[in-house]
Amino acid sequence: MANKASTLSGRGKMQLEFAEACRRTWHFFKQSKLGLIGLFLILMFLVIGILAPLIAPYDPFAKNYSDSGRLKGLLPPSKEHWLGTTLYGRDVLSQVISGTRNALIVGVLTAFFVGIIGLNVGLFSGYYGGFIDNLLMRITDIVYGIPILPFAIVTLSILTRSIWWIISVMSMFYWPTTARVIRSQVLSLKERPFIEAARISGANHLRIIYKHIAPNVLPQTFVHGAFAVAWAITTEASICFLGFGDPYSLSWGTIIFDVFTSQVMYRAWWWFLPPGICIMLVVMSFYFVGRAYEEIANPRLKGV
Amino acid sequence: MMTPLLEILGLKAYYSMHNGFCRAVDGISFKIIQGENFGLVGESGCGKSTVVKSIIKVFPKYFRIEGGKILFKGKDLVPLSYNEMRKVRWEEISVIPQSAMNALNPVYKVGIQIKEAILEHEDVSSKEADERVKELFSLVGIDPKRTEEYPHQFSGGMKQRANIAMALALNPSLIIADEPTTALDVIVQDQIFQRILGIQKQLKCSILLITHDIALVAENCDKMAVMYAGKIMEYSDVHRIFNNSYHPYTLGLRNAFPNINRSKSDPLVSIPKSPPSLVDPPIQCRFCFRCPFSTQICWEEEPGMTEIEPNHFVSCHHLSRVEEIRKRAAMRETWETGDEGPSKERIVS
Amino acid sequence: MKTYIFKRLALTIMAIFILATIIFILFRMLPGDPTMTVISPALSPEVQQELRHRFGLDKPLIEQYFVYMKNLICGEFGVSFQHGIKAYEIIADRFWNTIFLMVPSLFFAYLFGVIIGAYIAYKRGSKTEISVIVGSIVLRSGPIFWVAIIFLYLFAVKIPLFPTGHMRTPGYMGQGIFQTFFSLDFLYHLILPTLCMAIYYGCYPLLIMRTSMLEVLGEDFIDLSKAKGLSELRVIFKHAMRTSLLPIATSVSLLGAYAVAGSVLVETVFSWPGLGRLMVSAVLDSDYPVAQGAFLLIGLLVVAGNFVSDMLNGILDPRIRYR
Repeated sequence: MANKASTLSGRGKMQLEFAEACRRTWHFFKQSKLGLIGLFLILMFLVIGILAPLIAPYDPFAKNYSDSGRLKGLLPPSKEHWLGTTLYGRDVLSQVISGTRNALIVGVLTAFFVGIIGLNVGLFSGYYGGFIDNLLMRITDIVYGIPILPFAIVTLSILTRSIWWIISVMSMFYWPTTARVIRSQVLSLKERPFIEAARISGANHLRIIYKHIAPNVLPQTFVHGAFAVAWAITTEASICFLGFGDPYSLSWGTIIFDVFTSQVMYRAWWWFLPPGICIMLVVMSFYFVGRAYEEIANPRLKGV
Repeated sequence: MMTPLLEILGLKAYYSMHNGFCRAVDGISFKIIQGENFGLVGESGCGKSTVVKSIIKVFPKYFRIEGGKILFKGKDLVPLSYNEMRKVRWEEISVIPQSAMNALNPVYKVGIQIKEAILEHEDVSSKEADERVKELFSLVGIDPKRTEEYPHQFSGGMKQRANIAMALALNPSLIIADEPTTALDVIVQDQIFQRILGIQKQLKCSILLITHDIALVAENCDKMAVMYAGKIMEYSDVHRIFNNSYHPYTLGLRNAFPNINRSKSDPLVSIPKSPPSLVDPPIQCRFCFRCPFSTQICWEEEPGMTEIEPNHFVSCHHLSRVEEIRKRAAMRETWETGDEGPSKERIVS
Repeated sequence: MKTYIFKRLALTIMAIFILATIIFILFRMLPGDPTMTVISPALSPEVQQELRHRFGLDKPLIEQYFVYMKNLICGEFGVSFQHGIKAYEIIADRFWNTIFLMVPSLFFAYLFGVIIGAYIAYKRGSKTEISVIVGSIVLRSGPIFWVAIIFLYLFAVKIPLFPTGHMRTPGYMGQGIFQTFFSLDFLYHLILPTLCMAIYYGCYPLLIMRTSMLEVLGEDFIDLSKAKGLSELRVIFKHAMRTSLLPIATSVSLLGAYAVAGSVLVETVFSWPGLGRLMVSAVLDSDYPVAQGAFLLIGLLVVAGNFVSDMLNGILDPRIRYR
């Protein structure tokens, strides 16, 4: 079996190794109960998000009136409204469902941008050291020095309060975490013998970075990507909770904002709890998946 | 006959893997007498380091001692708890670890780490402990002022010397040197070993030398055992094993080491193929796959330990053919053809 | 070591300057008349003219920048649109309120997180470990404002143990710093938000510590310290924990940023008169001088947090010091 791999050409060998690595990863991932629960929840939310307009029983923005013409405001859960209604007569369940789609878009896009920026900054900074490292780390420090919520609030007041600006602002702020972690990993990898061996054997810098170091830090990047999704959803909810959300797209944070400003959260638990529980579940599931993957990515953690 | 310092009886130690148990050590026995040096020789993965882990009982959660006894000064160490073992550790048995690179904690000064061992076991003042650490440093040839430095400020050879100093701190009865010279170059290797021996004469302790370097054992030990795939193949005192070897593996090992007296055109003869998997260990002789002298019975049945002469034990079916085997083992061709048998996967350890 | 401190200090000061510059640019980008950041249209034309002159708004942009910087260093933030008094006074007041909330919260968060994280790493695989981890993940997953409201409900409404918010009982007027911040009344109001923040934010160092410890526990020198006959507690807390603290030091700056963001939210929920809440209301009311000043101070806190984190790193990791 081992012989087969060594007789293949370079590219074929890499593909075989990659397929083997994927299979092995899945094998270990399967063993983590929490990871599987997380994955299941994510898939569930994904389905709800994609099918949102189809499964929501009512238009989330529409006020509902009873047969006698009265506004169905602040009603507890019933057969017609499984999660009750808001102060303005809107169906809570529909709002929560449409919030799912919003949350996933925000989360995944932000994580994607954060991953790409953070990975590259970390790689170059850690590998080259010296001036580049200093420059990038100074930029990182500057970004770190700017508190995101105040900045987001001001920026969104300047520009429009749209979900795309929210995603952009968040991406600009979260990459330093990933970059720093990747950088410290690269710093320790740099000292390892296999990198010196590659250098001695004449590999140029970019090759060492992307072929030798990057694959070793990629798992950590994914782990951070999972956490970035969780962070993005939470932060977006926070921005909306302060009242700066996109008025056209219904975020779970905005729902909580509505409840809070109406000061009825102690009474209307059906309006207050579901969006928070949803945020909690999505964030949790990404944490579980990230953590399960981290156990695989970091072999020292296994069975110590 | 006084109680042996260390007596290992039928030790079995297994690692729990995702596809079963890896039987790293599958029933070995030997003993060390006070004052004598013992060498445990074998190639990578044969289970030597596992023996160390078992004796000192520092191992990960997926490892356990499945059976056997480890008698130290007559007392069995296997059933002892962590806290009970603490009295034995370092005071009686210390370890010079294999990897000098990682044996010291990078955030504490080297001197502190040795001092800590002293203070843990002996009732001395902090100042006395400091003095002792400085003495130990001189003993191993490091400037005593350097006790205030951090591990990353030491070179590889110095780190290993610091490890030796640490191992000697409490005058233990037994020092286990786990591949003490692997990470070092040849010249430093020699220096280190001379030092260890010099100190040993002073302190009258025993050394259990774990190595793949059979020449090192030949020079420095009184008794030795040859280990292969978790079992002992041959066990006796050093000159009988060298002058009167019985086991084909022993003979092969002797060939595989460079001999300065050999002619330059004579390349090394190595033993072909690799050790069997220890997850699914064979029921026959473990060496039969690579042994050029194996026959039907070797493939079917495991040979027990035979005492071929007083205090010389061998595990082989073909002890009667020894003259012929020795003659053929000295010839290159014997090893090059090797035996054809089902090849097993390499050991995963 | 001294060079390290000076270098870090210099960088910190530079970061503050850059922050101030960014804020300058940002606020100049607000729609409408750029002078709106300083002059409220509600003021009389004479006052407007005077302010315009004082803040150099009748001069080109570059000069305005220098005037702005000079003003900042002198603590001149302008005059609040909303309240008509110097912005500095309003902000300074709120600044201390926030400090007295955040510092204890972070302190307890780290204390709690590091110790429990180290312990459960050692007890890997046990039921305690799993329940603590799941518990902290669940808690940490809910957004802080939502968790804070639940906290408030449980301990101030359902079981009226603590007040439902604000920093002091209405009508209580303390004389000077000591009476304001060290009175029982203040502490009584402080406990719930601090506890909430400490438990919530503590989960983060807890998980980092655990991961870091697990990695360190796999290292050879840990095996050797066990072989030396040291007790389990010593191995965990002296050897493993000390080395594992390095990522924690780095995380202080991160958590600082989170906590600052969190304080904006917590202050909102608990009606705590702090810097964050001030900034939000200032932006909503278009009170730009106050918003600008509050933003700067919040940024200052985060930068200071980074500096502290760098210092901790230097203390904990001798490799940085002796390179």
